[in-house]
Amino acid sequence: MPVNETIFAYAVGRIRALETRLLDKGKLERMVEAASGDEALKVLAETDYAGLVAELASVHDFEKILQEEIKRVFSLVKKISPQPYLTDLMGLKYDVHNLKVLLKAKYLEETNHDILFPVGTIQIDKLRAMVTEENFRDLPVALRTAAEQITEEFAVSRDPQVIDLSLDRTLYDMLITAARNERAAVLEGLFVREVDLANIKTFLRVKRMGRNKEFFKKAFLPQGRLTADLFINLLEEPLEFLADRLAMSDYAAVVSEGVREWQEKGTITRLEKLSDDFITDYLQQGKRMPFGLEPLIGYLYAKEIEVKNIRMILVGKINGLPIEAIRERLRNVYI
Amino acid sequence: MTGIVLALLGAALAVGLAGIGSAMGVGLVGQSAAGVVTEDPDKFGQTLLLQALPGTQGIYGLLTGFIIMQRVGVIGADLLNLTMQQGFSVFMASLPVAIVGFISAIYQGKAAAAGVGLIAKRPEELGKAIIYAVMVETYAVLALLASIMLLFGIAL
Repeated sequence: MPVNETIFAYAVGRIRALETRLLDKGKLERMVEAASGDEALKVLAETDYAGLVAELASVHDFEKILQEEIKRVFSLVKKISPQPYLTDLMGLKYDVHNLKVLLKAKYLEETNHDILFPVGTIQIDKLRAMVTEENFRDLPVALRTAAEQITEEFAVSRDPQVIDLSLDRTLYDMLITAARNERAAVLEGLFVREVDLANIKTFLRVKRMGRNKEFFKKAFLPQGRLTADLFINLLEEPLEFLADRLAMSDYAAVVSEGVREWQEKGTITRLEKLSDDFITDYLQQGKRMPFGLEPLIGYLYAKEIEVKNIRMILVGKINGLPIEAIRERLRNVYI
Repeated sequence: MTGIVLALLGAALAVGLAGIGSAMGVGLVGQSAAGVVTEDPDKFGQTLLLQALPGTQGIYGLLTGFIIMQRVGVIGADLLNLTMQQGFSVFMASLPVAIVGFISAIYQGKAAAAGVGLIAKRPEELGKAIIYAVMVETYAVLALLASIMLLFGIAL
């Protein structure tokens, strides 16, 4: 339902003040240039993260404070948002991520090293109990159906890919339907763009693995603006054609540069960085809006990117990566 | 019904509508300001300045209302016995400030609330934030001018 955007006045005022405390390029640059992980952490201790850093016993436990920060930011935005169910949509991907990790841990019977995020709308303990008992009755309907279907299908096929594919599709179905029903244009635009970028990545992987179009169709997320036919027709063509085909779309820059690196070095890191920057650019409209949902969504995303950047720097520092290698992976900041 | 009733209705609308507009505008800026001050209490003074801006329309409305009351004799001398035409003229004269005051105060509130966001990031630019909001004031002043000229032009 479209609402009077001025109901966001308080929330946006608060976000405006919070935005000034996001880490800027200079701070990140100082962290990148720090001599070690501990030195980088000292830079972080000068920022809003000071309290969290103080509790940290060793730099190796940094993941804990990053999760803590994301959790804090999500609950803060939920608290100040006049429409918390809309900002909750930003957290749904964590629920789905957790569900994926738990399902895989159960079915692949391996100790899973993937991280569980205590951020989503469903508590992890509850989710774990659901997966153990195979009782998904308390999940949102779409997720419940998907989870039950996975349980059935997996018993037959034993194919772990079913979990990722089916849950990703369900996630974006839920997100885009909800955004459309609530007429939240900024969220719909965000999710559609995420789907398109995910499909481009899927296309590259499928092509490299030399899989056929049936496989691509299964992995393709249908909710985006780029159609399945567009990709399928290109499966047999040289990779350069993808950039040509998308030259007139918003994704031209992302694809041409990302694909070049993919061909030259075989890594997808550049494409991933450019994809994140693309979304940041899109959400930056929120910086100029005095009212409305956009600034809240923009801030949440900015915070996710900030945490991602900190994680990349600290991982790089701990593993002794060269400064240049860390720097080229850093995402653009929102401010 | 004599003309006096219409004249008083005019006074009521001038004070009432312009006042409602100002209340909405000031309220909106107050919400934005509260958001900023929650995180940054030092900004209280600056945001208060911006919050006060949409309040002027209510004052213009009250001023117009006073002039009407004074001219028709509610204040001071005896109540005039107005004809229907005189009463209707006074009523009409109150409309510019009532209507423009109501709407411009809301829009000025929006501009000032945006200004609150501006000073949250760049407190040194308070002057510019105020100027943007004050631009809206122009039209409230013009409406007040029109109302006053009409009121003093009407022969009672």
